[in-house]
Amino acid sequence: MSGKKVLVVDDEVHIIHVVAIKLRNNGYEVVSADNGAEALDLACQEKPDIIVTDFQMPVMTGIELVERLRDNEATKNVPVIMLTARSFAIPEDQQRRLRISECLSKPFSPRELMGTIEDILHQAQIVIDK
Amino acid sequence: MKPAKVPYAVVTGTVVISLLVAGATEWLDSGIGAGWRSFCDVLRFTAYCVGAVGVIWLGWYWLRLARAIASTASQMQQHIASGICPGQRPTGLQDPTAHRTAGHNTPAFQVKLTEAIELTEAIVGYVDSYSEATEQLLEQIEQLQIQTRLSNKQRRNTEAIIYSLPDAVIVFDEFDRLLIANEAAGKLFNFDHEGSQHQSIDEIFGAENTGTGKRKFADFLRQSRKAKTQATRREIELSSEFASQQEDGTPARAAVNPRTYDCIVSCVHDDSQHVCGIAAALHDVTREKEISQMKNDFVSHVSHELKTPLASITAYAEMLCDGEAADEETRRKFYSVIQTQAERLNRLIEDILNISRIESGLIKVDKTPLSLMILIEEQLQMIRSYAEQKNVEISGQKPIVYDQVYADKDMLSQVIINLLSNAVKYTRAGGSVKITTEVDEDARLARVSITDTGVGIPADQIEHVFDKFYRVGANKKLAQGTGLGLNLVKQIVERIHNGRVFVTSQVDVGSTFGFELPLATEQKVEAA
Repeated sequence: MSGKKVLVVDDEVHIIHVVAIKLRNNGYEVVSADNGAEALDLACQEKPDIIVTDFQMPVMTGIELVERLRDNEATKNVPVIMLTARSFAIPEDQQRRLRISECLSKPFSPRELMGTIEDILHQAQIVIDK
Repeated sequence: MKPAKVPYAVVTGTVVISLLVAGATEWLDSGIGAGWRSFCDVLRFTAYCVGAVGVIWLGWYWLRLARAIASTASQMQQHIASGICPGQRPTGLQDPTAHRTAGHNTPAFQVKLTEAIELTEAIVGYVDSYSEATEQLLEQIEQLQIQTRLSNKQRRNTEAIIYSLPDAVIVFDEFDRLLIANEAAGKLFNFDHEGSQHQSIDEIFGAENTGTGKRKFADFLRQSRKAKTQATRREIELSSEFASQQEDGTPARAAVNPRTYDCIVSCVHDDSQHVCGIAAALHDVTREKEISQMKNDFVSHVSHELKTPLASITAYAEMLCDGEAADEETRRKFYSVIQTQAERLNRLIEDILNISRIESGLIKVDKTPLSLMILIEEQLQMIRSYAEQKNVEISGQKPIVYDQVYADKDMLSQVIINLLSNAVKYTRAGGSVKITTEVDEDARLARVSITDTGVGIPADQIEHVFDKFYRVGANKKLAQGTGLGLNLVKQIVERIHNGRVFVTSQVDVGSTFGFELPLATEQKVEAA
C-alpha cells in the first residue's frame, strides 16, 4: 500500500506527529490539518486515499467534517477512520450513515491504526479491481 | 299470672283500647259521611267514659299499692329494730307463723305483702338493668369521644404534614372532587388551595389543553384511578401560564418556564378495597436533572481531557518500543513528548482536584492580612525567567501605601501566577506584560490588572474563558493548557474571597485579565 496518501486531522500536534512518523516509516505520504476547515480544503486539493480524523475538535467536530466530506463530490467516497477520546461510542446508525469505516478510541495504538488503514485500503483496492 | 294482677292488666288494656278507639274515631270523623259521623260520636263518647273509669281505677289501685309498700317498709323497720341484722332478708316474710306472733297474721295481708315485695324486686331489677345499660352506653360514648379526638388529632397532623411539604400534594375523592391540596399545589396549578374544596378535576386543571401539561397530569390521575394502582410514577413537564394575546388580538394564555416533575399517584382504598380517592405528590426534579446532565458532561469532558495526553504518551511509548524512532534525536524528541504530556496529565489532575475541593467546600482556607504588592513581587520573580526565555518584557509598579487584603496566601499566589503565566504564554516575542494594582478607597476594594500585548480573544468567545475546560480555539496552537487555570482563578477569587474576576480583550492587540478583592478591615489586621 506504499505511496498512498493519508490525511491526518487532529487539534493535538503530538498526535499528528506520531501518526505521520508511523505512516511515513511504512511508505505512506502524509498531509495534515489541525482543524476541520483546513482539512476540507486539503481533502479537495490533495485527494487523499484515506482520512484519519479526531472526533472532538474546536469549531468543527469530526462528525461535521465527515458530513461535509460526504456532501462534496470529490470526497464523498473517501474512507474515514475516526479517533475518539469520548467516554461514549459513536452510534452505529450514524457511523453507517456517514460511512465511517472504523472508530478507534484514544489512547490508541499506532500499530493498530496502521493495520486498520492497510485493511481498509486493501478492501477498497479489491472493490476498484472488480 | 296471680288473680290480683288480672283486673290490673285487664283495666290497663281496656284504657289503652278505649284511647285507641277514641283516637281512631277522631281520625275517621274528618273523612266519612253524615250517617257514620253520629255513630262515631257515640263510640268516641263511650271510649272516653270507659277510659276515664279505667284511669280512676288504676289510680285507686296504685294508691293501695303505695300504702302496702309503706306499711311493708314500716314493718321491716320494726323487724330491724327488734333484732334482725341489716342486709338479712326478713325471714318472717316467707314464714307466716313469724307474723302471727307479731300480731299480723291475716292471710290477706300476707298476700299483699308478697305482691308488694315482688313488685319492689321487679322495679329494682328494672332499674338495675337500665342503670347497667346506661353505664355501658356512657362508656361507649366516652370511647367514641376519645376516638373522635384521636382521629381529629390525626387529621390535623396529616394536614400539617401536607401543608408543610415543599412538594405539591393534591388529593381527590371518589367523585374526582378536591379533598385537600397544599400551597405548593395551589401555586403549581394556579388555584386557591384553601378555597377550592369539592371542585372537580376539570375545574382545577382546566378542561382545555393549554399546553402547560396540566391535561396530561389530569389524564395520568384518571388512568391511575382506572388501573387501581398503588404508587404509579411518571415524569411530567409542567409550565406556568401567563396572559398573552393571539394574532387577532383575543386574549389567550401561553405556557412558559417548563419544569420537570416526578409525579407519584396512589389510589386510596376503603375497607372493601374499592377506590375511594386518589392522592398525588409532585416533586420538582428540574434542578436534579440539570445537575445530573452537568455531572455527565463534566465526566465526559474530564475523560476526554485526561485521555488526550494519555494518548500521546502511549503512542510515543509504543513507537519507541517498536523502534520507529530512526535516530537518537528523534528518540529524544519522543522522550520529551512523553515527559511533557505526563506533566500535563499531572497538572490536569491537580487542577481538577483543586476545583473539586473548592466546589465541595472541603479545601482548608487560611486567610490572613496580605500585602498585594509583596505577593505580586514574589510571583513576578518566579515568572521572570520564563518571560525572558520567551523575550517578553514584564513589569510591576511602584508600591501602594495600603493594599492589604484578607486572603489565603497560597491560593492568591496561584491566582496571580496563573494570570501572569497565561499573559506571557499568549504574548509573542517582543511583547510586554504589565501588572498594576489600584485601591478604591470608597468601594474598599483592591483591583489587580494584568495587561498583555498578546494575541487577544475573539469577542464571541470571551464570555467562556472562565468556563471549565474552555480553550480559545484559535490560540490552542500557541500554548498548552488544561482549560482549568482560569476557572480555578474564578473559583478562588469569587467563591473563597468574595471578589470578582474580569476580562477585556481585543484580537491582535492584547488582553487585560484581573480581579477585585475587598480590602482587609483594620480590625482584622490588628487581630492578626
